[in-house]
Amino acid sequence: MKKIVNLNVDQAAVDTTEHKYHRGRVHVHARSVMPEKQLFAEAEYKAQEAERIGFSEYSYWKSVMRNFLKNKGAVIMSVVFILLFIFTFVAAVIGKYDVHNLRIDNSLMFVSPNKEFWFGTDNLGRDYWSQVWYATRTSIILAVSVSAGQITLGVILGLLWGYVRQIDRLMTEIYNLIDNIPTIIYMTLIALMVGKTTLIMGVTMIGFGWLGTARNVRNLVVMYRDREYNLASRCLGTKLWRVLWKNIFPYLVSVIILRLALAIPGTIAYETTLTYLGLMDISTPSLGILLRNARSYFLDYPYLLVFPAAIVAMITITFYLVGNAFSDACDPRNHV
Amino acid sequence: MNENERTIQGTEEFDTINGVNFLAHAENTLSSSPILSAQDVEVQFTLRGKKLTAIRKCSLTLYEGETLAIVGESGSGKSVFTKCFVGMLDKNGSVTGGSIMYDGVDLAKFTTEKEWRTIRGKKIAMVTQDPMTSLNPLKKIGAQIQEAIELNQGLHGSAAKAEALRMLEAVGIPNPERRYNQYPHEFSGGMRQRVVIAIAVACRPQILICDEPTTALDVTIQAQILELIRKLQKELGMTIIYITHDLGVVANVADRVAVMYAGQIVEIGMVNEIFFDPWHPYTWALLSALPQLGIKGEKLPAIDGTPPNLFNKVVGDSFAPRNHHALNIDFLEEPPLFDVTPTHQVKTWLMDPRAPRMEQPDTIRRLSNHDMGSAQTSGIVHPHQLPDREPLIEVKDLQVSFGRGRKKFVAVDDVNFTIYRGETFALVGESGSGKTTIGRAIVRINPTTNGEILFKGKKINGKIDKKLDNEVIRSCQMIFQDPMASLNERAKVDYIVSEGIINHHMYKDQADRSEKVQRALEEVGLLPEFSSRFPHEFSGGQRQRIGIARSLIMQPEFIVADEPISALDVSIRAQVLNLLNDLKQTRGLTYLFIAHDLSVVRFISDRIAVIHKGKIVELAESEELFRHPLHPYTKALLSAVPNPNPYLERTKKLLVYDPSIHDYSTDKPVWCEILPDHFVYGNTAELAKYREEIGE
Repeated sequence: MKKIVNLNVDQAAVDTTEHKYHRGRVHVHARSVMPEKQLFAEAEYKAQEAERIGFSEYSYWKSVMRNFLKNKGAVIMSVVFILLFIFTFVAAVIGKYDVHNLRIDNSLMFVSPNKEFWFGTDNLGRDYWSQVWYATRTSIILAVSVSAGQITLGVILGLLWGYVRQIDRLMTEIYNLIDNIPTIIYMTLIALMVGKTTLIMGVTMIGFGWLGTARNVRNLVVMYRDREYNLASRCLGTKLWRVLWKNIFPYLVSVIILRLALAIPGTIAYETTLTYLGLMDISTPSLGILLRNARSYFLDYPYLLVFPAAIVAMITITFYLVGNAFSDACDPRNHV
Repeated sequence: MNENERTIQGTEEFDTINGVNFLAHAENTLSSSPILSAQDVEVQFTLRGKKLTAIRKCSLTLYEGETLAIVGESGSGKSVFTKCFVGMLDKNGSVTGGSIMYDGVDLAKFTTEKEWRTIRGKKIAMVTQDPMTSLNPLKKIGAQIQEAIELNQGLHGSAAKAEALRMLEAVGIPNPERRYNQYPHEFSGGMRQRVVIAIAVACRPQILICDEPTTALDVTIQAQILELIRKLQKELGMTIIYITHDLGVVANVADRVAVMYAGQIVEIGMVNEIFFDPWHPYTWALLSALPQLGIKGEKLPAIDGTPPNLFNKVVGDSFAPRNHHALNIDFLEEPPLFDVTPTHQVKTWLMDPRAPRMEQPDTIRRLSNHDMGSAQTSGIVHPHQLPDREPLIEVKDLQVSFGRGRKKFVAVDDVNFTIYRGETFALVGESGSGKTTIGRAIVRINPTTNGEILFKGKKINGKIDKKLDNEVIRSCQMIFQDPMASLNERAKVDYIVSEGIINHHMYKDQADRSEKVQRALEEVGLLPEFSSRFPHEFSGGQRQRIGIARSLIMQPEFIVADEPISALDVSIRAQVLNLLNDLKQTRGLTYLFIAHDLSVVRFISDRIAVIHKGKIVELAESEELFRHPLHPYTKALLSAVPNPNPYLERTKKLLVYDPSIHDYSTDKPVWCEILPDHFVYGNTAELAKYREEIGE
């Protein structure tokens, strides 16, 4: 070994011990009262200490909630939305007229909001308060269930479409077939041939609405499909559905939530369009029907448009904000 | 490997090696003036409201004309430290203390891009790791170089083009006129890295920072790139900082070496001081953990545990919890820098006169005695040498191809080998050679197009029945290369490890299952309570061990280890290699070990197969392969193996393999057992030549 050291730059440095060059005696400010001798004694080696990991306990959903709650705007809007939905039930109780027993009374046409009719009356002299709140409830229920249906179907089909190579071609063709013809044509045909009840139109909207989500999910699945952890699952013989549910679905949560949040106002808008075109049954009041009705009179009686439009706007903004906030919170890159 | 066997006689022999004069360089460094001086630099990053101190009061003086290598594991801050010399820290990071003096200016005080533009590229340039991402794929190579020249040298039009062509030629790109008009995708990885270097040196920087310039490249290409940088340094008189985790590269290029750990330089000195006379326990551990220094059949000295979490305040010596030589004071007080020689500083309390005298570990002495390789053979009986050897996996005329029709690509062709029970069979080749494809074909992830794979004599490729399929899944498992990608980030360790036994119902009840998981975790050296954690909380080495636990819980007989350590830091590699060796012993496992690095493979494997472009060119017992390589490709690979000994590394002669030397037009090559258990691929003429070589 000496020979090698001889290669060093400074011959003098080699001939003396290594300690000669240390920069004087360093004063030790140990916080403890340990005597110097013990300070420089060898410490016991603890394997556990070395293996310790840096981060604290972590829970995915806890972090999601913590991040979501940081977004004040989204939290306030979601509370307001929940209150609004509850109020649709309360409004029916405190209102003076029952929505199911409204009489047509020409003498009461276009009464502006007053103490008797809180939101005024419509063109047929019916109480507008009870109609607006009932319509809000119907629209929200319809929108939430249709959107949930679309997203569920879209996610399931999208997962299979992306992961199972054999059906990729088939699914792509089905997608092209449906997507290249405007949905409104299908809707018209079904409304005319099958019926226009809320149920039928709801199911039809689900039937044509999953495409976008499925396409989106499929593209993401293709990204994750050949990652090594999925190969590992294949080596372990994991069944298809378990790979999809455990390995791939969790990575899509933020995208799915964003799509769901945007689908709800989308469905309300679509329902309005359908009603406007007369493709929806008008016996149950919905926000779409009220808006359609108001369109003819709102220049003279703006309150007819203002109430339902304000509610639609509020729902849209709420879901937009909440969806964005929640999908950000779901993205693990924003955690830690 | 004649160089390896050479004994070291005296010092004069090394005075002029490869045109690099050790002593002269050392003296030059001392006498030459500092070009850049960083004092007490502190860098902090803000992550989600928390402060991470990546560089903790780090000082460094760079001397003109020297090559300084900074080594350290990932997260040690070696990249971050040099990035603050060019103002390329990420947005959430900033220099929060200290000074970086260059040319009379304090770079640490720079705030605007305008200020940085006077330095970055012009005076201090950078070469990054991945040549695939550092070039713009939509712009012609020539235009990209020309842009750098026009921006920084003030040349325009044809003058700039002429300069760009000259640069292309200078970095060794043949036919620059034609290459000038090509796009990055028409270049190979090594060629692209040459272009990146051309862009970096186009403006004649004084300092060139090379951040892992060869990590993404194959060993043979790596050696060429290092040679190129050395040549350019001499021509242009640059000062170079290498950032690397590969001690072979350090041994090859560095005049001085700085060892970084947890945001500090813990030891700095001349290259021979660091390799032959290191005094920091971390440097000891880093060098001892090298598989090249390991003795077959014995444990590698590994560094247990993981680096500290820099979100927390580090008290005392940051390496103390992992240090077997730690003193009590290490846990309380941060050590100062002690001088060993005027050029060699160490930050450890062991150098304090009050500390007990420590001896350097044996492995360091082995390194300084140039005693390598020879120690590796210690009369082990390899499983394939046993009379009652049992073939576990047989691969016959295997062919795997992807795509069909005109796009068909044959990844693996005409491959034959047998793996016997209890052995570690290594498959070595460059990227794209098809080694991973073979491994995946055996565990049935990749379908085969031709040939047979037999497991215990039963055919397992193609369509097989359910029962055999389940049996193969249980007995043949795989360990993956990238521990970051091979674990499901959204599942707890508990699920990840028990996935296999859930699939095959290999447990009685939930209690039994979690007990099995905990036992598997203990077996790979992890704490049982880790089972409730998510993968992102673990370091690379720990994640790799979770991956191993996931395979072990199936009670396999055969494991395909696909580059299990190439993505890991040097300090952690040894942990994983030791674990694999232990498991081989306790469980009687058989491995197919896929790697690109021959030096690692030598330590762990019984037999080595060398694969080139989808064909196995040579297969022999590992020491036999190192002693008598026959195929020219094997020879080229062996000559390029990085050696963690500066003398040997700088004296090695590089062989370049040119596949056109084979003339297979009339004389078709065959797979021939030229000696017992030594196979080589060649035609009659070549085989005759090989036989002659053996005869000597």
